[in-house]
This record gives sequence, C-alpha cells and structure tokens, in this order.
Amino acid sequence: VSVRALVGLALFNLFILGVGTSVLALSLGWRSARQIVAGSGLGYMVGVALLGVALSIELVIGVPFSFATIALTGVAFVLVAAALRPRVRRWRPAPPPETGTPGAGLVAVAFGALIVVYLEALFRAGRLAGLSAWDAWAFWVPKAKAIYFFGGLDEQFFRELANPTYPPLVPTLEASAFHFMGSADVVTLHVQFWFFACGFVAAVGGLLAPRVPALLIWPFVLLMLVAPRVVGRSLDPQADFLLDYFFALAALLVALWLLEREPWLLATASIFMGAALLAKRDGQLLVACVVVAALVGSVRQWRYAWPRLALAAAVAIAMAIPWRVWFTSRDLTGELPSAGVLALLDYPDRGWPALESVLTATFDYDLWLVVVPLFAVAVVLAFLAGARVLSAYALTLYVLALAGFTWVLWSFIELEVPLTQDEGVNPIVRLSGSLVVASAAIVPLLLDAAWRHANDSSSHV
Amino acid sequence: MVRVVRAGVVACVVVAIALGVVYLVRAVDELGDQASANATANYDDREFGGGNSLVVDKRALYEARALIPPEGRYRVVPGPNVVGATELTEPYIDQFARSFLMPRRPSPDAEWILCYGCDPAQLEVPTEVVWDGGGGISIHRTLS
Repeated sequence: VSVRALVGLALFNLFILGVGTSVLALSLGWRSARQIVAGSGLGYMVGVALLGVALSIELVIGVPFSFATIALTGVAFVLVAAALRPRVRRWRPAPPPETGTPGAGLVAVAFGALIVVYLEALFRAGRLAGLSAWDAWAFWVPKAKAIYFFGGLDEQFFRELANPTYPPLVPTLEASAFHFMGSADVVTLHVQFWFFACGFVAAVGGLLAPRVPALLIWPFVLLMLVAPRVVGRSLDPQADFLLDYFFALAALLVALWLLEREPWLLATASIFMGAALLAKRDGQLLVACVVVAALVGSVRQWRYAWPRLALAAAVAIAMAIPWRVWFTSRDLTGELPSAGVLALLDYPDRGWPALESVLTATFDYDLWLVVVPLFAVAVVLAFLAGARVLSAYALTLYVLALAGFTWVLWSFIELEVPLTQDEGVNPIVRLSGSLVVASAAIVPLLLDAAWRHANDSSSHV
Repeated sequence: MVRVVRAGVVACVVVAIALGVVYLVRAVDELGDQASANATANYDDREFGGGNSLVVDKRALYEARALIPPEGRYRVVPGPNVVGATELTEPYIDQFARSFLMPRRPSPDAEWILCYGCDPAQLEVPTEVVWDGGGGISIHRTLS
C-alpha cells in the first residue's frame, strides 16, 4: 500500500478511459466536449472490455505480457479506430439535443451528490482492505500474480490453481494494474474494483441520461449500490461484479438497440458480451440469455433484427474461442456443471430445491433489498402501457436467467439437497447479483416506457 | 389504466428513493466502520487477508520469502503438529503459500521445504534446518 501504487492505479484507469473514450469518440464522431464527457463512463467500460479481451487473447497466443504490451495494445486500439473512422461513419448516431436532456438537472445533481458520498465511502473501505475473499486469494489473484511475474499464462500455475478453465480477463486486468502500481500489491488492488464500479455507474448514467428523466435513473442506481451485498462484496478482487457490469451494459445496449436500431449500440453490446464470456464461465449463460431475449423481443422484425443479432453473438463468441482452444488443448476440465449439460433427468429430486434456492437468493431482501421485485413491477407496468418490445425482452431475459441459474444448481450435484444458501458453498448468491446489477440499468428504461406510453397504445416501443 | 400505470411508476420511484436514502446512510456507516477496521489493521494482517484464518506464524512465510530466491523452488509439507492451528491450516496452507511465495515455484523435489506441522524426521531427504520458529513450523534446505 503506497501513494505510488495509488497513483499508478489512477494512471492505469486514466489510460483505460483514454483508450475507450477515444475509440468511441473516433468511431461515433463525437465532436463536442459535452458528448465526450457524457460518454466517458461508457468509454471507460468499453476500454475495460476491449483491453481485457485483447490482452487475454494476446496471452493465449503467447505475446509476452509487460507494461509495453499493455500500452501498445491501447495505442493500437486508438490507431485502428482512427483508421476505420471513415468506414464506420454510417454507424454514427444522430447527435443528441444540445439542451434539455431529460437526465440532467437538479434531480441528477442531488442524486449525483448522494452517489458521490457513497462512492467516497466505498473508496475509503477498499483502499486498505485485506485480501479476504476466499476465491480471490485462492485463485483469482494468484492467477494475476502468475501473469505479472511470469509474463504469460504460466503452465504450472494455471494448471495447479483452482478452476483452471475460468477465463483470464479479470486476472489479466489485475496483472495490468500490478504493472502500473509497480508491484503485486494485493491490498491496493481493491481500488481497481472501485474504479470499475464508478465506471459502471457513469456508463449507465451516460447511456440513460439523454433518454430517461433523472428521477427514473438515479434512485434505482442508488438502490442497487446500497444493497447490502453490493456494499459488502463489490470490491472483492474477483470476477463476479465485473461480469455483472458487462452483462448489465450488454443487456441495456441491446434493449436500446431494439428501440432505436442504431448499429453502434449493438456493436458495443457485442464487445461487452465478448468481455462477459472472457470474465467468468457464468458469462456464457448470461450472454445466451441476452441474445435469446433479444430474438424474442424482435420477433416481429426478425428479418431485420435476427441476422444482426446473430452477427453480434458471433463476434462475441469469436473473442472467447482462443481461450477455449488454450484450455481444451491442455486437457483442462471443469467448464460445465458436474452432472453435465443434459443429465438433469437423472436427478429429478433436485429441480424444485434448485428453483427455490434461486428465487430465495434473488429476492432476498437482506442481500439485494427490493431491486428485483421493482424490476418485476416495472415489467408489468411497461407491458400494461403497451411497451411490448421492451417488456417482452426484459421479461424473457430475467426468466431465462432464472431458469439458467436453476439449471446450474440442478446440475451441480456436489451440492447436496437440501441446498444451503451459504455462498461459500452455493454459487447462487453470486449468480443472482447479475440480475440485480442489470436492474439498475433496465428498470429506468421500463418505467420511462410505461410512463410515456401509458396514453399511447400505438407506440412503437 | 393510465392512472394505474402512472401510479405504479410513482410508487416504484418513491420506494426506490426511500430505501435508497435509508440504506445509503447504513452503507456509509458500514463502509466507515470497515475503513476504520482496515486502517487499524497492521500491514501483515492486510497482506495476509484471508490467510489470517489459517496461517499460524506469519514469520515463517516472510522468512521463506527472504530465504528462497525468487527463481527458487519449494514445497510445503503440512502436518498436524502446528501449535495453535485452525481447522483450515493443514488443508490450505499449501494453497495459500502458493500465492504468497510467488514467483517462487512449488515443486515436489524442491530444494527448500516449508514444514508446517510436519515431522522433520519423516522428510524423505536429508535436510538442514535454516529457520525454526517453534510450534511445529520450520524451513529446511535439502543437503546435496
């Protein structure tokens, strides 16, 4: 723990911000400072996703991992975005209005102040936090240290550490943070996850502010942030919350694409889907839920939407293929639940307890307050108001995710019935966090659609 | 229907604001407590983190870092003879050392041996004791 480490970490995150925002600004033709500032949260998270994916792939193909590798990779993204600038001109969205954006104003300032108070407290708690989370010290951070010390995916450590098939995006970003900090400082590393949390909040705010009134955005973002589980675990240096951020942003961008048909929204969503696939194996399930929900939500315009969704999914899957080749070529196993994909019928007695465990965790007030119940109400309201596309997409997404979580517990036969809710044993608490985090992004959109279209059943939404 | 929908939206916002503000106060309180607890912990406690629940004598791992060169190889031989061991010590000390001692590599035929509750007499190769912290924890080096 040192000032140098903190300064290094701040520089690393400025670098990420610069890379991601430059890529977006060059691709989308942002010109005004206002556009760049409003889009900087999304730009930061795009930078996290792009660098995480690219550095992971570089590790897999054997590029030596060093400070220079990180820097050159970021610079390469900016140069490529600049070079492709004329070609992606047609992606560029219509510029947002210069004044009167519904997400600005006094409400935003007031809630912004509350969120700043929260984030400041979160920073203080994380700055000197010990590496206590079991998975963090047992394999997430050791993998990062192995990348940092050995400059690659060290065969011995990546084989011997727990969960060898877990994808390397998070350890890669952690190792990058070590390079900027100048040492494998596992204490200051918690602050990196504070930056991720800040970036996610700014990204959601930046995406929703031009579209949704502030009063419908910030209370739900704040509610998610102060949920006890988020307060207690969001800075653990492991993949769970970063995966949740990627999933939530992908889900939000796909929802916006279903409504607005701007190609850049889907293209950006595919980056986050690829990052989710490389963050944790649960990402496969969550990305599949996003894609299938989008197919359902766009069923009436399937000729237009489905090929584009298929392309976005294919791009995301392509990002994860090199890692899959790496671990399968080394006979590493553990990617699927122990009972296999289709062995559910051999264990019929596990179905109901699994579903019960999933619902108990997802709706647990002591973990998540009422975030998911509010989502359920918002879906009903949006549906009643006639916002069919959005409500169908959101409902399908959450139902599929809950069904998927149930499948995971059903197939995870080491966990004996009756299922304990202890998160040290049962992964469901971590899984359910994805829906909670996503709700902070999706609920404002649903409520806005419900409010605006309550009088207008002929709306296209 | 319009009224129902709009009332529903308002109710959702009211609930979110009310709970958000109440739990913000609690969260800031809790995070403040965590920050204070972290600040009062010493450097070792922070660095060991989860290892505090299984590492009995932190000096042994620090000594191992000092004695074993970064490119060196070691093995941990756990056993039941650690004074003050927790139920996690014997099964997980090897896993914790793997991360703590990196970039030193674990290896079954390593020159350095971290005896964490083992019986030194049972080691397969002749060794010299290079550090002994007592309580069943010692560091050995094989005699070539």
